[in-house]
Amino acid sequence: MSLRNPKLLLAIPAVALIFVFMILPITNMIEMSFRTPGHSEPFGDDYTTMHYDRILSDGYYWGVLGRSLLTAGAVTLLCLIVSYPIAWHMSKAKGLKAVFLYACIASPLMTGVLVRNFGWMIAAALNGPLNETLLALGMIERPLRLLFTQGLVILALVHVFVPFMVLPINNALRNISPTLIEASSSMGATRREVFRDIILPLSFPGIYPGMILVYVLAVAAYVTPALLGGQMVSYMPTLIIGELTGTFQWPFGSALAIVLSVSTILVVGLFTALTSRLMERSKA
Amino acid sequence: MATVEVRDLRKRYQDFLALDGVSLKAESGQLVTLLGPSGCGKSTTLRCLAGFLEANGGEITVDGESILGTPANRRGFGVVFQNYALFPHMTVAENIGYGLKLQKLPKAEIETRVHDVMKLVRLDGLRDRLPRAISGGQQQRVALARALVLKPKLLLLDEPLANLDARLRDEVRWLIRDLQQQSGITAFYVTHDQSEAMAMSDMVAVMKAGRVAQFATPREIYQKPVERYVADFTGEANFIPCQSVISMGDGRYEIKAAGAKLELSGVPGIAGPAELLLRPEALELTSPSAGTFAGKVTKSAFLGAALHCEITLQDGSVLKLTAPPNHQVAPGEEVGIAIDHSHAWLMPEVAP
Repeated sequence: MSLRNPKLLLAIPAVALIFVFMILPITNMIEMSFRTPGHSEPFGDDYTTMHYDRILSDGYYWGVLGRSLLTAGAVTLLCLIVSYPIAWHMSKAKGLKAVFLYACIASPLMTGVLVRNFGWMIAAALNGPLNETLLALGMIERPLRLLFTQGLVILALVHVFVPFMVLPINNALRNISPTLIEASSSMGATRREVFRDIILPLSFPGIYPGMILVYVLAVAAYVTPALLGGQMVSYMPTLIIGELTGTFQWPFGSALAIVLSVSTILVVGLFTALTSRLMERSKA
Repeated sequence: MATVEVRDLRKRYQDFLALDGVSLKAESGQLVTLLGPSGCGKSTTLRCLAGFLEANGGEITVDGESILGTPANRRGFGVVFQNYALFPHMTVAENIGYGLKLQKLPKAEIETRVHDVMKLVRLDGLRDRLPRAISGGQQQRVALARALVLKPKLLLLDEPLANLDARLRDEVRWLIRDLQQQSGITAFYVTHDQSEAMAMSDMVAVMKAGRVAQFATPREIYQKPVERYVADFTGEANFIPCQSVISMGDGRYEIKAAGAKLELSGVPGIAGPAELLLRPEALELTSPSAGTFAGKVTKSAFLGAALHCEITLQDGSVLKLTAPPNHQVAPGEEVGIAIDHSHAWLMPEVAP
């Protein structure tokens, strides 16, 4: 590697940033996960695999891991279903209307994470506006317990992650030439068939990054499950933070974090492998 | 296969009138070309035929029955697009077989029909390639095969050769014409290239600002245009304004133009100002005293197969002509110009 090559010089800031803020901490965390537990300090002096043994042999942790992965999966799918029609609509919009729609879509991201979640706590309270509305419409007899349910966690996550799904899909839809739709309809395709055979597969280059982004963000979400999920059910991030800052078991907390990361990578890898043929074909 | 008639078709975009009463007719098995510059309404007409656009007025019938109420996907027309519009995520064979698959035909039949049509357009061996991995000419033939395999009642081609280089354009042009004639499919063909229109069509509609300026055979369009616009658009042409026009009936006229007196045919019933149309190949160089007109050579260019000359007449009008390549002319030389009277044509400046 020659430093006289200007292209390589340009890479230095990025490489330095990744090294300091990603490689170093992750290496540190992997090392930490093999440390023995400490007694009056966060970790001990020796190395062990006992934390991984404990996680993998205890059904409780498998359950929490499964809940985290499945919840993120549900968030991703709901996000996709909610976002696709919005993205479709946006891809047709031009000028000021498009700007307005972009602003609407990005609006959940303009609120701080705590404010947004406290907002949900108020909205979902027993005498909050959600229940009041349902009561007023006569759809329910008595207020529903919405707060501290898994459903509310999913709803709140879908709400905030929609922009991450809408924007790439909108982009992909904009790249589909309208003549392809005309061509398929001239060949006899109904609107449903055009969507199934042409639009859906060709928007996959937008669906894929959208799903990956939302999934990864949802698996790692901490504040929303912590505030809206209540004490009854645990998710991996709340568990990890508990170990790290509550009971000060840094090695065990690190091991949990590594298990969560590896599982997420496996899920993403499996999804990528299953869809690689479609991706290969549909990318522009 | 099908007789197609377009009557008084109208299409309006906000305050722009794209089609202002277009009327055309394609007899069964004919190839009809819509010729004109961009914005003349030729593509709009085709898109109304295909069902991609809804007309604001008029009628389109196929074998006497209106199709305006039928959506594009039930018209059963084949459409070939300028940018080919191949499905990028489907292989060549999947692209061609897509329409058959929609008809839920048995796999084996789809297989044979796709195979046969690929052989017909010489695409054998490319069945598993993606569109992005084949050349422009091959993509164009996939687009053609994809339309033909459905045995459409009507084939609609929107500038199908516009994106090909000159050599390929020639090849694909003949392929389209051959296939169209072999299968006897009625076809509409949109182009802005007059040579394409001439070579391929049974009938040509020259379009101007949302109307059909002239609808006739290629020969008539070229030799007997109804107005200057048509003559200009269909090839190299010389126009000489006439000083006096005397009608002798039956479309024969006696005129005075550029100092000469001529008797010739023209558009019947000319009343106002008229112009004499002389195609370059209707003119011949002679000695200064022998020709109908006399003038001076101002430019000459050797093009290999022919010699192109520009001659300025005494009244100042300029004539372009094509002479045999070995004819010796030098700029400044006095020459005479003989006219092939059967190729001279009188027409009004603008059609009434």
